[in-house]
Amino acid sequence: MSENILSIKDLVVHYETDEEVVEAVNNISLEIGKGEILGLVGETGAGKTTTALSIMGLLPAKVGHVVQGSIKLEGEDLLQKSAKAMRDVRGKKISMIFQDPMTALNPVKTVGDQISEVILLHEKCSKAEALRKAQEMLAKVGIVPERYKDYPHQFSGGMKQRIVIAIALACEPELLIADEPTTALDVTIQAQILDMMRKLQKERGTSMILITHDLGVVAEMCDHCAVMYGGEIVEYGTVEQIFDNPKHPYTKALYRSIPSLDQDVERLHVIPGMVSDPSNLPSYCTFCDRCEEKNSHCAEHDPWIVDVEPGHWAKCFQYTPEWEGGK
Amino acid sequence: MGRYIVKRLLLLIPILLGVSAIIFALKTVTPGDPARQILGNDATEEQVQAKRDELGLNDPVIVQYFRYIAGVCHGDFGESYRTGEPVLEELVPRLATSAKITLGAVAIGAILGVLLGVISALKKYTWVDSLVLVVSMFFQSVPEFVVGLVLIMIFAVNLHWLPASGIETWKGYILPMLTIGVSSIANYTRITRSSMLEVLGEDYIRTARAKGQTESKIVMRHAMRNTMIPVAQSIGTHLGNALGGGMVLETVFSVPGVGKYIVDAITARNYPSVLGGALMIAIILVVINLIVDISFVVIDPRLKTTIIAGGAKKPKKAKAA
Ligand SMILES: Nc1ncnc2c1ncn2[C@@H]1O[C@H](COP(=O)(O)OP(=O)(O)O)[C@@H](O)[C@H]1O
Ligand code: SF4
Ligand SMILES: [Mg+2]
Repeated sequence: MSENILSIKDLVVHYETDEEVVEAVNNISLEIGKGEILGLVGETGAGKTTTALSIMGLLPAKVGHVVQGSIKLEGEDLLQKSAKAMRDVRGKKISMIFQDPMTALNPVKTVGDQISEVILLHEKCSKAEALRKAQEMLAKVGIVPERYKDYPHQFSGGMKQRIVIAIALACEPELLIADEPTTALDVTIQAQILDMMRKLQKERGTSMILITHDLGVVAEMCDHCAVMYGGEIVEYGTVEQIFDNPKHPYTKALYRSIPSLDQDVERLHVIPGMVSDPSNLPSYCTFCDRCEEKNSHCAEHDPWIVDVEPGHWAKCFQYTPEWEGGK
Repeated sequence: MGRYIVKRLLLLIPILLGVSAIIFALKTVTPGDPARQILGNDATEEQVQAKRDELGLNDPVIVQYFRYIAGVCHGDFGESYRTGEPVLEELVPRLATSAKITLGAVAIGAILGVLLGVISALKKYTWVDSLVLVVSMFFQSVPEFVVGLVLIMIFAVNLHWLPASGIETWKGYILPMLTIGVSSIANYTRITRSSMLEVLGEDYIRTARAKGQTESKIVMRHAMRNTMIPVAQSIGTHLGNALGGGMVLETVFSVPGVGKYIVDAITARNYPSVLGGALMIAIILVVINLIVDISFVVIDPRLKTTIIAGGAKKPKKAKAA
C-alpha cells in the first residue's frame, strides 16, 4: 500500500447555526491507500458523515464550513477546487452511498433514468448508450435489467440500496464512500449487500471508505480501521492491530459492546455516560467523562497522538511517558 | 382505473340528491311566489292560482322534488320560468363562457404563482423572497371584487385598453381572468415555495449532487416535478373556488356565465334555473376533481398503485431518521 488515493490533513469542520457552533470534526488526518478499504467507526454524532461530506464538497450550504485542513485526491487538494471542478470529481472520481436507501432515490424518475443520469454527466455517450450501460449496472448489482423502467417505490429497501450502489459505481470511481450503507436494512440483507459491494470493489480495485458503527462489519470488510470519537480519530491501525490489540479505552469499550453468539446478551457492556456534545467540547481529553482508565492528566490536557506499534496509533495519555506521573 | 372512475362518478348521485334537496328546502322557506313573479302585479288571484297549478307548485314539496329528480335522470332540467326555454339549453353556452374564464384565471394564478414560488424558494431569506411574499399577500388580502373594480378603473376607464364589461371580443375575457387569477397567486406562491424548500432538503437531491449534477438541472429535473405534487392538488381546489368566485365577478363584469345566470335566477325566484345551474356546477366540480386526481398519476407514479387499488391516497412519506 505505497500510494495513497486520498490524504486528509488537519481537517477541522464546524457547523455554524444561529444558536451555536458545532465542532463536528476536530483536526483529523487520515490516509487511504489505493485499492484499500478503510473502516471509519464510531457512535452517532462522532463526525463520520461530516468527514465524508467534506470530501465530497457537499457540506450543507451556509451552515457547514471547513475551517482548516486539506483533502488531497491523488495529490490535488479538493478544498481548493472550484464548484465546477468539484462537480467533475463527484460521481466520477469519488462516489458516495448514503445511509438511507428509502429516501435516496427520486420517487418520480425511473431507476434507469437515475443511473443513466450519472453516466451522461461524466461520459461522452448517447442517451441510448447510457441507458444500456445503466442496464448493465443493474445486472451487476443483481437486479433484472428489464426493470430499468420501474420506479423506486416498486423495489424493496435492499434492492433500492443495490440501485444506489449501481449509481455510485456506474462511472467506475476511484474512491467510494459508503456511509452506513446497510444500517437501515434487515440483517440478512445487510450481509448480501456487503458481499456484493466487496465483490465489485475487488473486481475494480476501487478504494473505499466504509463508515459504520458496527465493528463486525469492519472485521468482515476492511483493511484499516479508524475509530472516531467527538470529531477526532482516537485510534488508527490495520484491522488486525485494532482487533487483536486495541489501545484506546473507547475502542476497548466498543468491543465490549459487541454482542457475540457465545456471550450472554444480558451482560452486554454498555459504554457509560453520554456521547460527547460537539457544541460544547472540553479542552481536555474528549473521552475523559466516560473513560474507565483515566487519571489526573486526562482532565487537564488534551492527549496527543502516540504510536503504539508500527502503523498503529492512539490518542491517549496512557501511552505517553507523562502517564506515570499522574493518578 | 376504469372501476375507480365509475366509483367516483357514482358519488355524484348522493351529491346531486343533496344539492337539489337543499335548494328545494330553501324554496319552501323563502318568501315570494314564483307564479306571482312571472305574471306580475297586475294578474288576478285566479290567474296566479292557475299558473301555480300549471307549474306544479301546489303539489307537496316531496312530490315536486321527486318529479324534478325523475326529470333530471332523463336529462330534463325543467324550463326557465322567465323565458320558458329548457334550462339545459340556456346553461350550455354559459358554461362554456364560465369555463374559459375559470381555466384562464387558474392558469394565470398557477403559472405566475409557481414561478414566483420557485424564485422565492431559490432566493430564500433574501429581499427578493420578502418582496414576492408582500406583493402576493397584498393581492390575496384584497377581496376579488375590489381587485376587479380597480382593474376596471385602470384598464377600462383610464387607459381604454380593455372593455369594462361584456365579452363581445376576446378582450372582454382578460379582466375577469386577471382578477380571479391574481388573487390566487399568493396561494400558489406559498405552496410552491414551501414545497420546493422541502423537496430541496430531500435525500434524493443530495444523491443528485453526489452525481455531480449542476444546481440548475437539479431544480429542473429532480425538484420541479416533486414540487408540483401539492401544487397540482391545490389547482383542483382552486378550479372549484374560481368557478364559485366567478359567480360574483360575472355580475361585476356583466359576463353571461353560469354565475350571473344563477344570481339573476335567484333574484327572479326562477327556481328551475337556480337548480339547474347549481346541479351543473356540482357535476363539474366532481368531474374536475376526478380529472385532477387522475392527473396526479401522471406526475407521481407512486399513486398508480393506490388509485388502481381503489382509493386515492396521498403518498406516504417514508421518512427514516
Ligand atoms: N447540518 C447540521 N447543522 C448543525 N449540526 C450538524 C449538522 N449536521 C450534523 N451536525 C452535528 O455534527 C455532529 C457530527 O454529525 P455527523 O457527522 O452526522 O456524525 P455521524 O455521521 O458520525 O453520526 C453531530 O453532533 C451533529 O449533530
Ligand atoms: S487520555 Fe485519559 S481519559 Fe482520555 S482516553 Fe486516555 S485514559 Fe481515557
Ligand atoms: Mg452519519
